[in-house]
Amino acid sequence: MDATEAAAVLARARQGDSDAFRALVEQHSRSVFRLAFRMTGNEQDAEDVVQESFLRAYRQLGRFESRANFGTWLYRIVSNCSVDLMRSKQARHDQVRGDSLDEGAMELPAADVPGPERMAQSAEIDRRVQHALQELSPLERAAFTLRHYEGRSIDEISATLGLGTSAAKHSVFRAVKKLRIALAPLRSQES
Amino acid sequence: MTHHFSEDELTLYYYGEGRRRHDIERHLESCAACAATHREIAGTLAMIAAPEVPERGDQYGLEVWQRIRHKLPEPEPSAWSTLTSLFRPGRLAIAAAAAIVVLAAFTAGRVWPRLPAAGTPQPVTTTAAGSMTAGSDSRQRILLTSVADHLDQSERVLTDIMNAPRGDISAEQRWANDLLDASRLYRQDAVDAGERSVAAILDDLERSLIEIVNSPSKISAADLEQIRRRIDAASLLFKVRVMSDELRKREDAPDRSTPRSSTSTRVTS
Repeated sequence: MDATEAAAVLARARQGDSDAFRALVEQHSRSVFRLAFRMTGNEQDAEDVVQESFLRAYRQLGRFESRANFGTWLYRIVSNCSVDLMRSKQARHDQVRGDSLDEGAMELPAADVPGPERMAQSAEIDRRVQHALQELSPLERAAFTLRHYEGRSIDEISATLGLGTSAAKHSVFRAVKKLRIALAPLRSQES
Repeated sequence: MTHHFSEDELTLYYYGEGRRRHDIERHLESCAACAATHREIAGTLAMIAAPEVPERGDQYGLEVWQRIRHKLPEPEPSAWSTLTSLFRPGRLAIAAAAAIVVLAAFTAGRVWPRLPAAGTPQPVTTTAAGSMTAGSDSRQRILLTSVADHLDQSERVLTDIMNAPRGDISAEQRWANDLLDASRLYRQDAVDAGERSVAAILDDLERSLIEIVNSPSKISAADLEQIRRRIDAASLLFKVRVMSDELRKREDAPDRSTPRSSTSTRVTS
């Protein structure tokens, strides 16, 4: 779909043409899923985010400014849907966790620290990284995902998540601090 | 005195951001403590590789569409689209038809006398309220007739859909689309007239008509089956038939009781 055609499809979708919106869904679904998976770290949650993001986008199409880039606009919706989903899951599991750094909570049981042989296995490293990521607050995880996996600048993260620059920056900093603490056993085994 | 850089500054540096990149670079060459912190940050972050995203095939977009299309809410309209939608040819025709119905109801209410039934006490409306009641009854009668006709037509579309072979349903879709706007207007009229059960059935009907209209014209067997299951689950055909019959009976009834039973008529000898 070239730029002119894309603009025409978008214009029709904004006028309530569901076939045009279908074309947008078909065009963007895979990239939306990729971002949602990176944000949530879970296939089922990612699928839920994909659906909710498109439904939210459809509802809000009237607010979309035609001069803006639809992909960027959708990216913002997906990021925020992911944060919302992670927050609601967190609330459901009754995990009381503030944004403040709680080093004690990040420590894994000593018995769970694997030996050098297992440390060499990348699968084990991945497992522990995933565990550490799950321990982040939804906002920290979203900000970290955008910075680390998606290569977004602090200003872009700020715009995407609707945060001030300082809040976006500190969400990334807190995430990195928590991850350093959680993954320290791996680093000490390596060195 | 040597100025050390904070973890946060070194984190930004790792990601290629921050305003003092040259200063930090020079400092790391000469400060072992900051260099160690930077190595630790870099080493930790290097462990965190992007997760492998499960593969989604070429048809994934279509799958997503199939999952969401029945859930699409009404979009929040922009001011411009609201304005332009009012002047679409189809809408104009429907609006004109509705205006004619309302005008006819108004005229009928003003002109037609209320016919007494044989053997029943004759209500004579001599007050202003009585005149309004007679007009309201005529309007109600026209509404009942129109809705009964509408339900009959809708029943035929639903029956067609229930029996259609897999393939092209564009004819049924055009028919459903024609009925959809009218259905919305009648539902609103029914709500205004206090006809709650009629409004409820028209609401169910509207959902099915929307689903039919929004389905692909070249429909798959699975999609068609899904529409049929929803129609079945709501017992929609049955409800439409029963309601149509009931409205016909009420049309014919000489002294029907309407949901708005607060009509005030005085019997005079």
